[in-house]
Amino acid sequence: MAGVSQKIHLEAIRKGDSSVLETIYKSNRDSFLSFALGFGINRDDALDIYQDTIIAFRENVTSGKLTELKCAPSTYLCAIGKYKIFQLLRRQKPNALDGRVIVEETKEVLDVNLFEEEYTNRMELIGKQLKKLGNRCREILVLFYYEGYTLDEIAIKLDYSNKLVLKSQKSRCLKQLKDSIL
Amino acid sequence: MFETAERLNFITMNKEDLIEKYFTDTLSNEERILFDKLLQNDQAFKEEFVFQKELKQSIAHQQRETIKRTLQGFEANLNRKKVISFKYWLAAASVMLILTLGYFAFNKYTASQPEKLFTSNFSPYENVVHPTVRNSNNASIESKAFSAYDGGSYYKAINLLNSVENKEADYIRFYKAMCFLALDKNQEAIDLLLPIATSPNESSDKYKWRAKANWYLGLAYLNNNETDRAKSQFNVVINHPDCDFKKEEAKKIMSQIKSD
Repeated sequence: MAGVSQKIHLEAIRKGDSSVLETIYKSNRDSFLSFALGFGINRDDALDIYQDTIIAFRENVTSGKLTELKCAPSTYLCAIGKYKIFQLLRRQKPNALDGRVIVEETKEVLDVNLFEEEYTNRMELIGKQLKKLGNRCREILVLFYYEGYTLDEIAIKLDYSNKLVLKSQKSRCLKQLKDSIL
Repeated sequence: MFETAERLNFITMNKEDLIEKYFTDTLSNEERILFDKLLQNDQAFKEEFVFQKELKQSIAHQQRETIKRTLQGFEANLNRKKVISFKYWLAAASVMLILTLGYFAFNKYTASQPEKLFTSNFSPYENVVHPTVRNSNNASIESKAFSAYDGGSYYKAINLLNSVENKEADYIRFYKAMCFLALDKNQEAIDLLLPIATSPNESSDKYKWRAKANWYLGLAYLNNNETDRAKSQFNVVINHPDCDFKKEEAKKIMSQIKSD
């Protein structure tokens, strides 16, 4: 019974269901906080890390690194959280830890650095121009580069007749964006 | 020869597709080798790849900010709900308090008319048998009892009066009845006063306990909503041949009692 509801959750996370996210957030919050506060960090930092942990957990799901819940979400959240707390405590450069988190209970390997922490000026410029692109383009690009959707899946979700039509649309969006940067 | 043909196929494949396969993590081993080679040797390819990588980073940055704001919204929701539910609890508690107070006020102000007459006419008969002497050592139980009576500690007085040696004496029972009446325990008072009020011992009734008992019995019946019995007691008080105790008051009450 528990396994079925967990599977549904994972799918819902992939789909980007906000109420599912809120449920996960609320139901794991208190136990994560006790866990985090046990390391001696203050409450604000703990909440901040909790939110970053939720995001990292979610990204592992959307990128395909986590395809099924072999144990409760709290296990994954604590594994990721512990890493991030050590990061905070040691105040080392993020690259010193290689970003690999091993879930002791199931031996699965998660990645906390799926996206590099660095944010250059060029990235900021791209971001600015990205906002100026049409909604259609932005949608496609976000689904492809962040939400982990394949072109087939995007075609279905955005109602394109076939993958090739979508592909050429995506190419045009990329070209448009690149031109606006130059 | 087979290998060469395959390699040709790979090369004519869209470079775009290669980059796309990189980002969807679907590069085969051969494709990966080709990818790395192009990255090293093809400047245009490298530029395009780097651009898309920066795009991915940029999108991630924006999306993380957006989601984080959403999560902070959940957090704020949690706290707000706690505050709201506290306010509701407070409001509910206030309403309960008001209702409770109202209930008591309602009870008090809708006391029946006989009960009101009791309240306005009753005061415990003063202690005329055992004037309290301060600082007396070896105080007897009886003097302690009357001391308590004078001080308004009626429960204590009742307890002590129950322990005196002559607890069946008229005056002991009379003052015990006073205590009960002061505590609104009508039936206990009635039970104590009735024998006194109907006692035939005139000669030993130095203090006229019988006449006084009539008055207080009348009051007790009033407080117990037994108006008819009260009236007959007050009639006795009014018509008493040799005691004027509370005669005027009894007449006044009789005129005030609404006949049922």
